[in-house]
Amino acid sequence: MQKTGAFFAAAMAAGLMATAAEADVKVGFIGSLSSDTGLSTLRGAEVAIEELNAAGGVMGGQKITLVAADTQEDVTEGVKAYEYLAETEEVDFIISGSIDDVSLGWLPRMQEFQIPTLDTWTSYIDIIDMIVEDRDTMAPYFMNIASDEALATLYINFGADVLKAKMGFDSVVILAEDTAFGDAITGLVTDGLAPVADIEVKEIITYDVNTVDFAPIFSKARASGADFIYQVSSVNSQVISSQYVKLQVPMAMTGVNVSALGLEYWDDTGGAGGGISTLSPIPSVGFPLDPVSRKFVDDYQAKYSSRPKVPHFNGFNAYHGLKQAMAAAEEAGGFEDVKAWSAAMLKQDLKLEKDGKMWLRYGFWDYDTKEPVTGRTYPHNALFDLEAPYDFAQPSMVVIQWKEDGSVGVVYPFEYANTEFELPSWVK
Amino acid sequence: MNLRRYHFALWVLFIAGLFLLPWFVSKGTLRTFIFANYLAIFAISWDVLSGRTGYISFGHPFLIGIGAYTTAILTKHFDVPVEMSIPIAVLATMLGGVIVLVPALRIKGSYFALVTLALMELMYQLVQVIRPDLTGGTRGMSGLPTLTRGAVNGYYLSVTLMVVIALSMWLLMRTRIGTALSAIGMNEEAVSGSGLSIVRLKMFAFLASAFVAGLGGAFYVHYLGSVAPRALFDINMVFTIIVAALIGGVSTIVGPVLGAFFLTFLLEYLRPYLPGAERYLIYGSIALVLYMYQPRGLIHIATGVWDRLRRL
Repeated sequence: MQKTGAFFAAAMAAGLMATAAEADVKVGFIGSLSSDTGLSTLRGAEVAIEELNAAGGVMGGQKITLVAADTQEDVTEGVKAYEYLAETEEVDFIISGSIDDVSLGWLPRMQEFQIPTLDTWTSYIDIIDMIVEDRDTMAPYFMNIASDEALATLYINFGADVLKAKMGFDSVVILAEDTAFGDAITGLVTDGLAPVADIEVKEIITYDVNTVDFAPIFSKARASGADFIYQVSSVNSQVISSQYVKLQVPMAMTGVNVSALGLEYWDDTGGAGGGISTLSPIPSVGFPLDPVSRKFVDDYQAKYSSRPKVPHFNGFNAYHGLKQAMAAAEEAGGFEDVKAWSAAMLKQDLKLEKDGKMWLRYGFWDYDTKEPVTGRTYPHNALFDLEAPYDFAQPSMVVIQWKEDGSVGVVYPFEYANTEFELPSWVK
Repeated sequence: MNLRRYHFALWVLFIAGLFLLPWFVSKGTLRTFIFANYLAIFAISWDVLSGRTGYISFGHPFLIGIGAYTTAILTKHFDVPVEMSIPIAVLATMLGGVIVLVPALRIKGSYFALVTLALMELMYQLVQVIRPDLTGGTRGMSGLPTLTRGAVNGYYLSVTLMVVIALSMWLLMRTRIGTALSAIGMNEEAVSGSGLSIVRLKMFAFLASAFVAGLGGAFYVHYLGSVAPRALFDINMVFTIIVAALIGGVSTIVGPVLGAFFLTFLLEYLRPYLPGAERYLIYGSIALVLYMYQPRGLIHIATGVWDRLRRL
């Protein structure tokens, strides 16, 4: 009996010692577990954690563990997920692959719990404005994708340099899905196309995300008399683009098509995706990668066999961003002192080169520096460059185009282009 | 009123248990209770209308949304203090209740259900089209004032609201009006034949339901701190409310509370094991089996067990 008691006491002591030694850093993932978007962030974070743990852990050998909370791309589920990560799992750091609406839902919780949080997909400029207005409660929040204002600004340059100057288009009809994303991008592009690119917006047609027959919508677009279609589609995007191809709509179409950001696009559209071009944050499909990002993709593909075959841009953001968050925690002595962590995170600056040229830069705008083109500040937003030759950072976006043979490449900015923008064969 | 001492004893025990809970459970569990409390309020609201009168509403988020959006707009854009915006929101919701009542004066059954579903869809479209500068359009509104900070405070506010509503409605439904409302659900013509005013009774049920929905919606939005049309006017929201009432036991007030607690906790406890959408499969299967096993709900399973214990 005494032996049994001693055995249990020893086992308990060993258990306690093991627990003390394994005082993990707990990372929470918030996002959809059933979308390519959410999975890209989750897997990017997983690969980074695996590498950090294999290298001996962080902050004196602590191992990183990850716990996921599904949002189903629903605002209320997003709030529940954030609360779950904060109060049930008590995570140290949260990495988000949430879409804009969901991030806006859980932001008040982030302000309440003050947990360091990195958003890798949401690009809503109003969140950056919240940081400008309220430094204190927004201190733990970082967004390492260029804000939608920056995306739209460079896209308008594409309008001026390519659509107007090269293609000779004078007017556009906008087909925008009825979502927050559609609303925001439409507003930004509409405000900029006419004054900057001298392209008249003839009409804005809003459609429901569950639309399955786009023939009447394309007819209406043609009736507008515009030279080309600008689409804004983040949900079921393959439907509008594949119908555009199958119906051989005799107008050029470009814009934002989120489904075209993944390598699965060609299969998803049954090969009917040729001619579609879309704005894409960087790195996109068809975007040449630097050696560090290339290795990440190789490791990713060795680890995961299901879609997305190649992570979307937010997967790269998660991979590099998580490592930067841990490096900031090393400097700040952990995640507990949020202000110290935030200051250390703001200093993170990773420059990746390709062929001796600065190719990708992962860092953040500080509170005071004004971006020269827009003349405003973007605190805690990913660094981006809106002017050639893009030697400060990478452009906020590129425009990619799927060709009719199934290949894909970058068409704009010219400094990053590896193919030319062209009209589909039936439009020519 | 057919009230017995043990009724009150059970209520006291239930309320005492709820109020002592923060001493025994984690903050994460309290957060789950908060959502369960709000779902219970919505399910009670649905039960007062549909569970009693038999007028099945598929558009309950229409009413909840009026309450939520009214207080959100007033506080965000007009700087109306919450203590004023919430009563105004409740009154606006009751006005919405009258709108739902109008079709109920002429149609019933599946036709009424479809009309209410259309009302919810209409509301979904309206908040995006009519003055999106006020409603926030498709994106909704965030940064709304919250009434509490922290899990414990949020819990006490939600549980107090839920208990007050549940107890008031439980007492109300044990009056002659409650009996008359149940009678409408059984045989509307017979109630009319007995000399009671069907229109007045229906109006009472619709207004009471709207009052609870508006109150719940308004407090809910000031708990979340944000409101979005896709999160509110959604078919999933309707089904969650109805399933909570059905699983718990319709026409009982306490049943929907049990159903709401059961469903919310089931989903949250499955989260660590099935973080993705798979947990909804388990959730749906359990709800289906439970409903097939006892269509009268959890409340009847509980009372059955209680009766057996008393006979021992």
